[in-house]
This record gives sequence, C-alpha cells and structure tokens, in this order.
Amino acid sequence: MAKLLGLTAGLVLLVAATIPALAHHSFAAEFDSTKPVTLTGVVTKVEWMNPHTHFYIDVKDENGKVTNWDLETGSPNGLSRQGWTRNSLKVGDTITVNAFRAKDGASLASARQVTLADGRRVFAGSADDAGPGSENYRPGKQ
Amino acid sequence: MRKLVNSIAVMALALTILATVTAQPPRRPGGWEPGGPTPRLADGKVDFGGKGVWAPIWVLDWADKKYVTEPIDVPFTPAGLTLYRERRANDSKDDPEGFCLPAGVPRYTGTPYPFQLIQLPDRVVILYEGASHMYRVILMGARHSADPDPSWLGESVGWWEGNDTLVVDTVGFNGRTWLDYVGHPSSEKLHVIEKYRRPDLNTLLYETTIEDPVYYTKPWTTSFKVRFRPGWEIKEYVCLENNKDLVHLGTAAPK
Repeated sequence: MAKLLGLTAGLVLLVAATIPALAHHSFAAEFDSTKPVTLTGVVTKVEWMNPHTHFYIDVKDENGKVTNWDLETGSPNGLSRQGWTRNSLKVGDTITVNAFRAKDGASLASARQVTLADGRRVFAGSADDAGPGSENYRPGKQ
Repeated sequence: MRKLVNSIAVMALALTILATVTAQPPRRPGGWEPGGPTPRLADGKVDFGGKGVWAPIWVLDWADKKYVTEPIDVPFTPAGLTLYRERRANDSKDDPEGFCLPAGVPRYTGTPYPFQLIQLPDRVVILYEGASHMYRVILMGARHSADPDPSWLGESVGWWEGNDTLVVDTVGFNGRTWLDYVGHPSSEKLHVIEKYRRPDLNTLLYETTIEDPVYYTKPWTTSFKVRFRPGWEIKEYVCLENNKDLVHLGTAAPK
C-alpha cells in the first residue's frame, strides 16, 4: 500500500511538472505545481469573466471551520469553446475540484478538473493544454 | 502472482490519473486534416478568410522545437541574454500580458486566442481576440512613415510575393512587448517581417523574422502552423474586466 501511495504521489508530481503556464499570465509565478489539492465544497459565487473565470466554494475542514476558496480556471472564451457554459456551475452546487495551490498561501488555487454536481468531470484548464486551437483539444470529452 | 496483479493495478491507476487529472503538455502544431484546397480570391491571391477563425496554440517559446518548425539558436547580444535569463529566473512574473497589456507583434500569432484576417483592396485588417480585442491595419503597397510614433503593434505595410505569400513589414514599436511567454526581448529598434501562407484550407503557415540589434546580433527566423477552426467566431475579450492575478504574481510593474 505504501508503494502504491508512493507511486501515485510520484505520478501526481510528474503530471504537475507538465503544466507550464496559464494563457494570460505565468502559472509558475502564481501557482505551485508541487502542491496539488483536492477540494470539495459548495459553490458560493461564479465570475464568468475574462481573463479567467473564477468560482468560489465553501470548504469545511475536519474541525467544522469553513474556508471560502477562490478557484481560477481558463478564460470564459476558451471554456465555452470546450463545451462549458456560464451555467455549468451554479451557486449551491456541491462540487469537487482538483487544483494547484497559490504560492503566496492565499485560499486560491488553479482548478484543473471539476466534478460537477451531476457527477460529470470536466476539464477546467486553460487553452495551452486543452483549449481552442491546441493539439490536444478534444470536443465532446467534457 | 499477487505482486504482479498489484503492479498491474498500480499501473492502471497511474494511467487513469495520468489520463484524467490533467492534460498533456502542449505539442508542436500540425497534423490536422487539410480540409480542402487553398481558397483564392478572384485575382488568384490566397484568401486568408472564410467562415471561421485562425486558432493558435500557445507558442510559449518561439525558439523551442516543441512549438516551432525548427529549433532556433537565438543569437542574443549580451544585453539580450541578460534580460532573457532574468525573465526565466523569475518565472515570467513581469510579463506585460499579465497586466492585460497588448501581446504585440508578432506575439499575437502565438497566443491562444483566435484571430481573423479581413482582406480589402488597399489593406489587410487583422482582428485579434486576445488581450484585448485588438485590431491591426496592414496598408498594402504603402511605405513606412519617416518616423512613426512608437506603439505596441508598430506600423505595418504589406505586399504579395506571387499569389501565395502575404508579406508584412512592421517597424515603429515601443519596445515594451515580449516576443513570447518565455521572455525573448524586444526594443524600439525591433523590425518584424512576417510571411503568411495558406497551403491548404485548414493551415496557416506563419513565418516571422526578428531583427533587433539591441538584443540580437543578427536576424532570426522562426515558423509554425496555425489551425483554421470553421464555424468559430471571435468573442469579446476584455482582459481588465476581472484581472485578479497581479496581487498573487509578486510583480509591481511590467518589465
């Protein structure tokens, strides 16, 4: 089991290392690719705006303390070309997000994948890794 | 045997994670279907338009084989190398694009926002979706002004080489743009020559020559392909609408 965990951790790191940047600004200057985080919480706000869509979720820790997290994704322009709409996330939805934490320790993370309220898993990244025009853009895979 | 089964399970889990948690790294553009022959205007010149947009991938490094046709050994001057290394060392945190400033020429062609070329008798207009919803006018058959005011996109004049190649010559830059995400620098002395070709319906073959004696000892030329996306349109992109990144980037000003 320890071996399994070790390998999985290693893979997460490997995967993280392949994420170079966000479309509008440097990924590496803002987020830490060695700090993946999985968050489950309730959507409190959605900002479907450029240069990045942000959504906010309330996450409760084991002591019952609630933290409001800011999740940054691709631009609405890019996300909509990947199949998102401005209604994909709604206030009150319970979702799970795979993300990378901000370097400055803020309750902010770059969202990579979101498991929506209906169970669908959608890619939330920016255009460099699955967005418009990229080689690995896969319509219909959201 | 049990160990083997465990190993297979671990590999399967690993592959699942690899496939689902995140995306593949960007790859060099190309390899899509041609989609049809090169469209042409009534006079035989290439038509760079059509119902759709040109949608570049994010060409992070205009000298790296991962993104461009041939790797480039960039001929830096000492000043150019110093500035480039500084930008690499701080993870491009001071990139003007993070401040929602224009990507400039030629960088717009390698940012992940679509663009369209509108061909008129005396000019070509390029509409760039990205940062922020810019237009660019290329005067065909014109000469450069004697002393153009410095600007983000410079002053562009164009002409045709035969019927297949649109050549665009641009000067008059303000020296404030980066040539790409990794931070190849530019100065007010930047001179850009671009060649636009459309070998088939779905492919724009884009080539650019960078001349800038402040940061490069000689001109260097790079090229890559851009994919046509039928049915897509340019969308509004107002970068300053909700730019929340600056406080987290640790940057005070674009450099």
